[in-house]
Amino acid sequence: MIEVSNLTKVFGTHLAVDSISFEARPGEVVGILGPNGAGKTTTMRMLTGFMPPTSGEAKVAGFDIFRDSLEVRRHVGYLPETVPVYPDMTVYGYIKFWAELRGMRRARRRVEEVIEQVGLQDRRRSLIRNLSKGMRQRLGLAQAIVHNPDVIILDEPTIGIDPQQVIEVRESVRALGENHTVLFSTHILSEAEQVCDRVLIIHQGRIVAEGAPANLRSKLQPHPRLYVVIGGTTPENALQLLRQIDGVESVIPQGEGFILQTQTGQDIRAAVSAHVTHSGCQLLELRPVAMTLEDIFLDIVGRPH
Amino acid sequence: MRGTWIIFRREIGQYLVSPVAYLIAAAFLFLTGFLFNNDLVTSVTVRAASPAVVPAFLSFALVFFAPVLTMRMLAEERREGTLELLLTAPVRDSDIVVGKFLGAWFYYSLLLALTLVYQVILVAITQPDLGHAISAYIGIWLYGGATLAVGLFFSAITENQIVAAFLSTAALLVLYLGGLAGQIVANVELARVINQLTLQGHFVSSFAYGLVRAEDVAYYAGLIVIMLHITMRVVESHRWRA
Repeated sequence: MIEVSNLTKVFGTHLAVDSISFEARPGEVVGILGPNGAGKTTTMRMLTGFMPPTSGEAKVAGFDIFRDSLEVRRHVGYLPETVPVYPDMTVYGYIKFWAELRGMRRARRRVEEVIEQVGLQDRRRSLIRNLSKGMRQRLGLAQAIVHNPDVIILDEPTIGIDPQQVIEVRESVRALGENHTVLFSTHILSEAEQVCDRVLIIHQGRIVAEGAPANLRSKLQPHPRLYVVIGGTTPENALQLLRQIDGVESVIPQGEGFILQTQTGQDIRAAVSAHVTHSGCQLLELRPVAMTLEDIFLDIVGRPH
Repeated sequence: MRGTWIIFRREIGQYLVSPVAYLIAAAFLFLTGFLFNNDLVTSVTVRAASPAVVPAFLSFALVFFAPVLTMRMLAEERREGTLELLLTAPVRDSDIVVGKFLGAWFYYSLLLALTLVYQVILVAITQPDLGHAISAYIGIWLYGGATLAVGLFFSAITENQIVAAFLSTAALLVLYLGGLAGQIVANVELARVINQLTLQGHFVSSFAYGLVRAEDVAYYAGLIVIMLHITMRVVESHRWRA
């Protein structure tokens, strides 16, 4: 559904997207994960026909984004990062406008259907200016799917709405993935894991990692870290104690406990627990340290491939 | 074509639900009505009532009216981010610009049609020169289209409606009063050229006197085409920015 090869975008001297290639099959939910300014939005804007690439090629729904831009736009539904709305239009009028502009005839029934799908049926006659942010987000989703596009592109659809609504949006994205190809961007790692079949990690305009979320995590965290707090001994002794455990690469004191950097791919939690209790100390706390996205990037970008 | 029609329809809808548009209509009718009444009263004893009094007034009033009608059109799309969505819809950039322009022109035409009531009154009480009236109305209709095209252009170059309105009023004022510069130029030929470039130069001495000349029609039509073309380029330029 989406085939991208060596897509590049340069703004002046700034290389926003640097020769990225990827593919999305029909019915696949692909997440683009990356920090702000990584090139997620620019990539999406090129795929929606908003801006032409500097070089490289991409096909969406079988059409070239440069030569057949209008055809591409007919087959794509797009929700930009800030939901674009006309405050003086009604919910119904707004969705109908976009349905018609995207070439639907006799759109009335489909518009009603979509309004129900996003749960705005009580507000169909309300002016958009009176909708809450979460409702606007759902409205934005409605305009992106009303014309039944093959490909749906959502730019950070869960940003700035409350947690309950975030869950709703994630569920709708999952549901959309059953009948459409969905490309969506986020900078939240766990979100990408929950929603996507496949994740692309973009950093400074380049794809630095790609794969199914489960594989990606093990690829990304080859050196799991543990946080341990030990009672009943001095910090110096505790440090000595922890260093003796098999599989521990380094021990760094932090706060009242220690961060254990482990060797590749080993789960040493059982060993740590056994070792500490055998030596007569108390294990007060033992938990894996979640890596933030920033850590992951530092890890990926800093590590030679 | 289809895109143009859908955009056009939305713009008309926007005017019809917007209180500002009704305020403009009210001001429009109040001012023209006042003027018409004045002309009627003074002309009773002195001369025949002029059928071109309302169009002649509008030639000046449009300098201020037209920007108010167009200031929102593209500036708001940019500020709300809807322009990005429009540019990813399967319509050409020209459809967007032309649809909006026609929307504004159509709304203006409605307002202009309302002022025809004065012509009806004239017909009822005197025997006005209808040819004169028709010419003046054709002229001010085209004149209005040209001022709206200028206004639309300034709406495209900024996100701020007030700035758009201010800039287009300033530009229209220059186009309107440009003839004054011609009056202080010693060179007659140059003065003529300057006058030919102004909005006034193609209205007061022709349409307003009942004269429909091809060159005047071409001037307003040309101004519309040129301004719309530049506006399309400005809209298109959003595709090339970061």
